[in-house]
Amino acid sequence: MSRIEEVLRYIRRSRRLKISLLLAPPIIFLAIWFYAPFLILGLYSFNMINIYREIVFTPSLEHYTRVLSWTGAINIYLRSLYFAGLTVILCLLIGYPAAYYISFKMKKYKDVFIILFIIPFWVSFLLRTYAMMNLLDERGLLNTMLMSLGAINTPLKIMYTDVAVILVMVYDYLVMMVLPLYANLEKLDRTLLEAASTLGAGPIRTFIKVTLPLSMPGIMAGFLLVFIPAVGEFVVPELVGGPNNYMVGNIIYEIFMGARHWWIGSAFSMLFIAFILSLVIVYIRKIGERGLAL
Amino acid sequence: MSELYSVELENIVKRFGNVVAVDNVNLKIKENEFFSLIGPSGCGKTTTLRIVAGLEEPDEGVVKLHGKDVTDVPTHKRNIGMVFQHLALFPHMNVFENIAFGLKMKKFPKEEIKRKVREILEIVKLEGLEMRRINQLSGGQQQRVALARALVIEPSVLLLDEPLGALDLKIRQHMMVELKNIQRKVETTFIYVTHDQTEAMTMSDRIAIMKDGRIQQIGTPLQIYYRPVNTFVASFIGEAVNLIEGDVKEDGFMETRLGLVYCPESEIKGKAAIMLRPEVLEIGNKLKDLDNILNGVVQAVIFKGSYVEYRIEVEGTSFIIHKHGVTNTEKIYPVGSRVEIGWKRESSLLIPLD
Repeated sequence: MSRIEEVLRYIRRSRRLKISLLLAPPIIFLAIWFYAPFLILGLYSFNMINIYREIVFTPSLEHYTRVLSWTGAINIYLRSLYFAGLTVILCLLIGYPAAYYISFKMKKYKDVFIILFIIPFWVSFLLRTYAMMNLLDERGLLNTMLMSLGAINTPLKIMYTDVAVILVMVYDYLVMMVLPLYANLEKLDRTLLEAASTLGAGPIRTFIKVTLPLSMPGIMAGFLLVFIPAVGEFVVPELVGGPNNYMVGNIIYEIFMGARHWWIGSAFSMLFIAFILSLVIVYIRKIGERGLAL
Repeated sequence: MSELYSVELENIVKRFGNVVAVDNVNLKIKENEFFSLIGPSGCGKTTTLRIVAGLEEPDEGVVKLHGKDVTDVPTHKRNIGMVFQHLALFPHMNVFENIAFGLKMKKFPKEEIKRKVREILEIVKLEGLEMRRINQLSGGQQQRVALARALVIEPSVLLLDEPLGALDLKIRQHMMVELKNIQRKVETTFIYVTHDQTEAMTMSDRIAIMKDGRIQQIGTPLQIYYRPVNTFVASFIGEAVNLIEGDVKEDGFMETRLGLVYCPESEIKGKAAIMLRPEVLEIGNKLKDLDNILNGVVQAVIFKGSYVEYRIEVEGTSFIIHKHGVTNTEKIYPVGSRVEIGWKRESSLLIPLD
């Protein structure tokens, strides 16, 4: 047996080696492009990089205390949470009935309707947002239409408000809610619903007692897929929101690129990451457990 | 005054597209009867059961429960119980919650739910497992939970759709006896769908055999085994059957490819078949006192424990014979040996051919 064959055989047989070979590329990739920059961010926030971009051992919490003593920061965190929370709830309220209807009530063309949800996603995120700006503008399609129909006399002021931010975010993220929900509902064993009906449960109670609890994993996945990007949203409030609708992403951008204060920016980011991470952990513990335990 | 039936199906027709799944089925199932619907897959037995449950709407016909027309009543208002083929236990609930589900839907008070669940767990022998999750139970235990869940609501009829299909042989045999015992204990009408005739024969008071959406015969296990109305029932029921086709010449005689054969006297004229169960045939060298004796050659011998199965060829026709009560000192005819087979005309049955 040749030396190469021997090595190949060893690789084939060693489970641990096989797993590490498979996992190495993504981990190395993430290490270079995510974990290393993240570490640098951490160093900045603890004041361990000086203005000459050298690593120095002068750790301090001064940047954190400065962020925390700024009341505006809390407001921005809360506003981000509010925007993302509202987006996620609206996505769920719109997405669940849609996914439910397609999965349970449609016999043909299920794929067609799911693709209809996916198609907007093929258009660039920026283009979609610009398109929405055109629709919602004071002299945009929506207002022109409503005015020519005589429904309103003065144009609705939607652009540069909370409403615009939420509307565009829901539009942008809806598919992230619909897809996991649909996949989850498709997997749901229909005989469970039949079983419930033979046990005297009508359609509504069957939904509450069987369908809804069993679709918790889908709701969870959808929630995280919408909430995490939404809470860090940067483009939408920048383009369709007014100065009062700034979210964390916009502030971070301002601190880094406007004020060029990398230390405060880093501390601000780190605090927000910790905040969101703890929320997600609580969420998974509280609601997720039941969903994941299936 | 007509007798009150637990379940009545009148002229039920169900089509799926161009396929007629259930074709004009009429059934009357008595109170507390263990009734089985059997037939090959695709014969419409499960669809018929689902129509009784209200999970499937018939295109034509009437469904009655206890004399009341329920054709348009939705499943959850029919007060039926059902055990599904794959059990359909709720994976997000434990044993207690699964069984209590129906009682909660019917708004029983908490204490009564607890008592009833405890009672039914005793009947299905699952005491102490209330808090287990479904995936922590064995196949047989899950089976019992499904049964308990359906029975605890005291349904007017319990529908079972191949509930033992997923179990292995030993547990299945055990559950068959158990099911019959439970049925006696709870005094409920059971409708049992299966493709396994052994299950049906073991437990049923009466059996309906279906083929291509139509009922072929309804009768007790004994009736359908020894008095099948057609060759389909004859071959579907029982481990094996011998059918000799021919022409009934006059009362008691039939012209077959094996020559003139004595057959039982009956009304049947023209094309018919003689049915012989494998255990009524005799095998030997110098057979006496039999109406029909044929010469054949042993093609195969299979020792099956409590009996020996012979396959014997007589002029191009193969016969299956089961010889019971074989002792180890007795001679077993080896493959290739010439033997006689024979039977008395009254142990055979004449079946008309269409």
